Amino acid sequence: MREGRNWGGSALVVPALFLVAAFLLAPLALILRYSFDKYDPVKLMLGIFSPGNYVQAVADPFYQNVLSTTAYIAALSTVIVMLLAFPVAYYISRVESQRLRGWLIILTMLPLLLGNAVRSAAWMIVMGTKGVANAVMLGVGLIEEPIKILYTPTAVVIALVSVLLPFAIITLQSVMDAIPTSLEEAGQSLGHSPLRTVFEVVLPLAMPGVVAAAAISFALAMNAYATPVLIGGPTMKMMGPAVYDQIAKANNWPFGSTLACILMVVTLVLTVLSTRFLSRKYF
Amino acid sequence: MAGVTLSNIRKTYGTLAAVDDVSIEILDGELLALLGPSGCGKTTTLRMIAGFVAPTAGTVRFGGRDVTRVPVHKRNVGMVFQGYALFPHLTVAKNVEFGLKVRGWDKAKIAARVTEMLHWVQMEALAERSPRALSGGQQQRVALARAMAHEPEVLLLDEPFSALDAKLRGQMRTEIRELQRQAGITSVFVTHDQEEAMAIADRIGVMNHGRLEQLGSAEDLYKRPVSRFVAGFIGKCNFIEGHVTGPGRFETANGQALQFSGEHSIGPAALCFRPEHGVLTPLATPGNSLPVTVKAVTYLGPVTEYDLVSEAGNRLLVSASSSGEGAPKEGDKLSVAWSIGDAFVVD
Ligand SMILES: Nc1ncnc2c1ncn2[C@@H]1O[C@H](COP(=O)(O)OP(=O)(O)OP(=O)(O)O)[C@@H](O)[C@H]1O
Ligand SMILES: [Mg+2]
Repeated sequence: MREGRNWGGSALVVPALFLVAAFLLAPLALILRYSFDKYDPVKLMLGIFSPGNYVQAVADPFYQNVLSTTAYIAALSTVIVMLLAFPVAYYISRVESQRLRGWLIILTMLPLLLGNAVRSAAWMIVMGTKGVANAVMLGVGLIEEPIKILYTPTAVVIALVSVLLPFAIITLQSVMDAIPTSLEEAGQSLGHSPLRTVFEVVLPLAMPGVVAAAAISFALAMNAYATPVLIGGPTMKMMGPAVYDQIAKANNWPFGSTLACILMVVTLVLTVLSTRFLSRKYF
Repeated sequence: MAGVTLSNIRKTYGTLAAVDDVSIEILDGELLALLGPSGCGKTTTLRMIAGFVAPTAGTVRFGGRDVTRVPVHKRNVGMVFQGYALFPHLTVAKNVEFGLKVRGWDKAKIAARVTEMLHWVQMEALAERSPRALSGGQQQRVALARAMAHEPEVLLLDEPFSALDAKLRGQMRTEIRELQRQAGITSVFVTHDQEEAMAIADRIGVMNHGRLEQLGSAEDLYKRPVSRFVAGFIGKCNFIEGHVTGPGRFETANGQALQFSGEHSIGPAALCFRPEHGVLTPLATPGNSLPVTVKAVTYLGPVTEYDLVSEAGNRLLVSASSSGEGAPKEGDKLSVAWSIGDAFVVD
């Protein structure tokens, strides 16, 4: 078998592989290099190699706070997204009419067709003090005075959840489609209620999808930029905007790169840890 | 244990009656086969017994208990699915255990039952395997052990052998038949293979277009089919078109008088006899023979099949044990005769 392998085919892939690697890895390598450099008001970068930025960032209570806020908001959004996406994905994957199913998938993807900025603007209209949400709640007598929603962490979580949901739903739904309904019927014939069958049969079998969807959601939330800036307002500090502020506003490329690298590593470590935790529990 | 009674159950999908007014009394401990061509409503009937499909009309009873509106998980059925539907994330033992914990059995009782069931199907050695690493026959045994572990009142099997090769199929059906007898459990088994149904069922319900055409033992169905469909579906059969002219008297389309046994009202009908009941002879006897021409001769080892065509253009089939000398050849003009006791009439 091995001798018969077609190496010619593999060779064709090599140029593409290099190209992708160049596009993906070169910027990363560059940022990694910058992160060990030092800012200079005149020369911008000194061209030295020192861990000084890292020491500074890690020791600074401000950035500690930004990082923990970011991780907290991302984790909370991910949990909410998964709780909402699972039943929706399950419903879509089990709906009998193929037409309805097609429409539901399109409907799920629709928000992704809006740009980040447009979507955020829409949320601002909904969540502002004079916005739709307040008007409705005032109208039905739920509240007496307009409450502040926009520019709070809650608003950021709501907006992030709305961005992340489509990714999570589509990821989960494709995994659930591959789980035969006969397995659920088997569960029910053995005395498990439909709900219990979902927990004992569908959930464990969908676990790879749950892990993937959660990892995607968490990584996207950790790196969010537009949502925290537009919905969180000036007082809401998350890592994405902080990186941008350093590079674009303060012109401090080395320190911005350091923050970017820290963000990347923390995201990676948290994702890997939670994935391993979930995997150990279910596989 | 209890029998199952289906009373006038119907299931319609839009304008299509998938199951149309079916009534069956399945006796306690009996193995009943539902047999019929694709799309005749076998699976739908089975799923109504299981509770996956709610009947549009009619009732399902287990023993005296009306379970028509009882959901699947409260019905206490055991089901073997087409393709087995074993849980791929659980071991063989955990698959068998699946229906026990949910019933509140204590640990010791569960462990004992799992061991007992695995022993019953001779799968103890593979208890810790993943179902993915089992052969088709092994998977089927696990599926059976899982379906029977919680001591269900009724065992339901939907085409349980269709995923197996011919040899294993024969072996597994004897095995399942034996296990079913030992357990003495009321069972319903769906198949479109008449040989399979005849081989293992106590009684067979023949379905066509959502209706139950006939219910009876294999012998009943073969010897006394009530309809043309059953006569043609169970074994091979010759049909001679014509009409019944009086008690036991029949006239073919071109006016030849024939006789038959049994009752039939006067009017258009078909006279039938089985291929093995026909005899090729040079002599024509009035009442139970037709002049024919031999169209083709098929040698099948112990028997030889003769394709015949009558003067009226009816195609007939006769099978006879193969004999060397003087056997009819293609083109021979002969008569096919049968005994009047073997001739019956259907609509
Ligand atoms: N959920 C459904 N919606 C619409 N029509 C259905 C549904 N389930 C079954 N039918 C129709 O009902 C009829 C009977 O189906 P059923 O599955 O009971 O047939 P079957 O005898 O088991 O056939 P097969 O041997 O092919 O499995 C078929 O015409 C089928 O198309
Ligand atoms: Mg079927």
